[in-house]
Amino acid sequence: MNRLPATLAVLACAAAMVANADPLPADATYRPLPTKPFSEVKRLDEAAKPAVQKRQADLLAARYDLSNRPIPGVMMSGGRRAVQGGVRVKLPAGTTWDKLAAMTPEEIRERNLLPEGFKPLPHVKQATGGQVFPQNQIDTIAQLEQRDLRRFDVDFDLPDHLTPEFPAPIFLTTKPELGDVSRGQVLSIRNYYEIMNGLITPVQMEGLRLLLTPFPQEEFNQTEDRKVAQQSLGVACLDCHTNFHSNGAFHLTPDVRPQAARFRLDSTSLRGMFNQQIHGSKRSLRSIEDFSEFEQRTAYFNGDHVSATRKGPNLPDRTNQVAMMAQMQNIINFPPAPKLDWRGRLIPSKATAQELAGEKVFLGKGQCAQCHVPQTSFLDHNMHDLQLERFYRTGEVRNDLVMQPDGPIKTFTLRGIKDSPPYLHDGRLPTLADTVEYFNLVLGLKLTTQEKEALTAYLLTL
Amino acid sequence: MKAFTITTAAVLLSASPAFAQFGNPAGLMPDTPESRPGVPAPGHANVQDRLFVKLLGMGNAGEVAAGRLADGRARHAGVKSFARRMVDDHGGAARKLESVAKPLNLPVPAEPDPDQKAAQARLEGLNGAAFDAAYLQAQLVDHQKAVILLHWVISNGQDAGLQSFAKETLRRCRTTCDTCRRCSRR
Repeated sequence: MNRLPATLAVLACAAAMVANADPLPADATYRPLPTKPFSEVKRLDEAAKPAVQKRQADLLAARYDLSNRPIPGVMMSGGRRAVQGGVRVKLPAGTTWDKLAAMTPEEIRERNLLPEGFKPLPHVKQATGGQVFPQNQIDTIAQLEQRDLRRFDVDFDLPDHLTPEFPAPIFLTTKPELGDVSRGQVLSIRNYYEIMNGLITPVQMEGLRLLLTPFPQEEFNQTEDRKVAQQSLGVACLDCHTNFHSNGAFHLTPDVRPQAARFRLDSTSLRGMFNQQIHGSKRSLRSIEDFSEFEQRTAYFNGDHVSATRKGPNLPDRTNQVAMMAQMQNIINFPPAPKLDWRGRLIPSKATAQELAGEKVFLGKGQCAQCHVPQTSFLDHNMHDLQLERFYRTGEVRNDLVMQPDGPIKTFTLRGIKDSPPYLHDGRLPTLADTVEYFNLVLGLKLTTQEKEALTAYLLTL
Repeated sequence: MKAFTITTAAVLLSASPAFAQFGNPAGLMPDTPESRPGVPAPGHANVQDRLFVKLLGMGNAGEVAAGRLADGRARHAGVKSFARRMVDDHGGAARKLESVAKPLNLPVPAEPDPDQKAAQARLEGLNGAAFDAAYLQAQLVDHQKAVILLHWVISNGQDAGLQSFAKETLRRCRTTCDTCRRCSRR
């Protein structure tokens, strides 16, 4: 084959074609304005809701074992919820994890054997998307603030036992000796001052107030384009990041278009923000200040500043408000990990033989530490592309989500990871045992059963 | 030459059941009849459905015309083969689009859009390797746009038949994008 000359002239010709072309429809990128009266939209959404929820429940049941099977004696850091055990992703009929791990990505793809639970997890209602809160958060905010976080079109889809404990404990870098300072309560605009006075500085207090103040959001606002029954003051940052952790609330990524291609986002924890150099699964924003400032147009408004402007974004002042919000977030510590030393390595005298074996796998055969570097809070401040599309045919549609390559996603910390189910950026993996099977397959590790169990035991110590 | 074999991994997908997605009813036209609350009655297209049929119909016509030109003019046998496949694929897609648009009483354009006509005119002025490269580049851009258009109607359209067609077509379209990219690199 002779090389086709990619001459400048040809490129110029192609560029001219592109420059002259009709653009695609505007709502391939921008949010369309509603065409129906609010009351009618609400009626239709409510009527469709049972079928919407059933479709999602069917998808989850086909993918996962959602039963309540805690690991005996292993609790999350606040002691309020047990950590779930076992591999919950269901295998295709006739195969085993070992058989799958022995196959090449191409074989798995050709024979359509990638477990459904390893594929991107759809939002409950892809066409609408938006923030969906778990019931415990909805109930608590209703009680504390008389603010409604319930959507009339969709409900949260995962069982409580597969989400983070609620409320999550709060650990401060400035008060390590006190342990959890949450008093077992959910921080809200009504109670934060009482709980935090004496613990934090005035600057941090003002940052906290801002993080707890509701501002208009795409589904929670004053306009006819909302999914909450009454006109809403909006949502607060800590409505998803309850007590600076995560309550499992999910969303669609603001970073992808068209709507059918936007992947689900599981709220991430804000613990350990002080050591995190890049922010946002896709955006790689370089500081928590950048993230806090711009989130009003991303998490709140789907990356659509046009829609945000119509509904009323809060644009915090960089030098005052943003800095204070950042200073508050930067004192949120990881939960205690008594078996780890300052480098993030297990202290042999405190760890079990199985945990030590797991650390060995983590640092060696498992390749985990290549990205999750223990010394830097199990982060590498990079984004990586696992290329899951090697294993399945992208372009398949599940519950209106067009599954496509994830592309590079930032490395998330593993400190305190047992507190943060479900796993991966979209929450497609219910347990740590699932993540071990996932990475065993995707990275081609060929771990033995013993090694997998040791690795899972090690992850619980972090 | 072997290396230039066009992947004909045109996976013939079994047609998905014609269930419409759960759309956002805020985007339904106020006069949309419903088969049940929140679900548009069959046979009623929204604005996006109509625009989709128009854009994709013109796109298919443009691809067939460009493919015929390339079949006659391309220098490289692989490009000719690709062009013939485009004529077949897009001819088939046009017929399928006709069949799903018919119950909606939506006319499918038989002419390429103005941009495609202009691109065709530019291609007609080229020969040899320059033609091959320009044709493949135009194909890549056209199919990238088509992928977005198909995603868009899966999100924003409302007719179940059209959405099912879009889902089916999307994977073939992505395969063609891959092929264009591979060919352009050779």
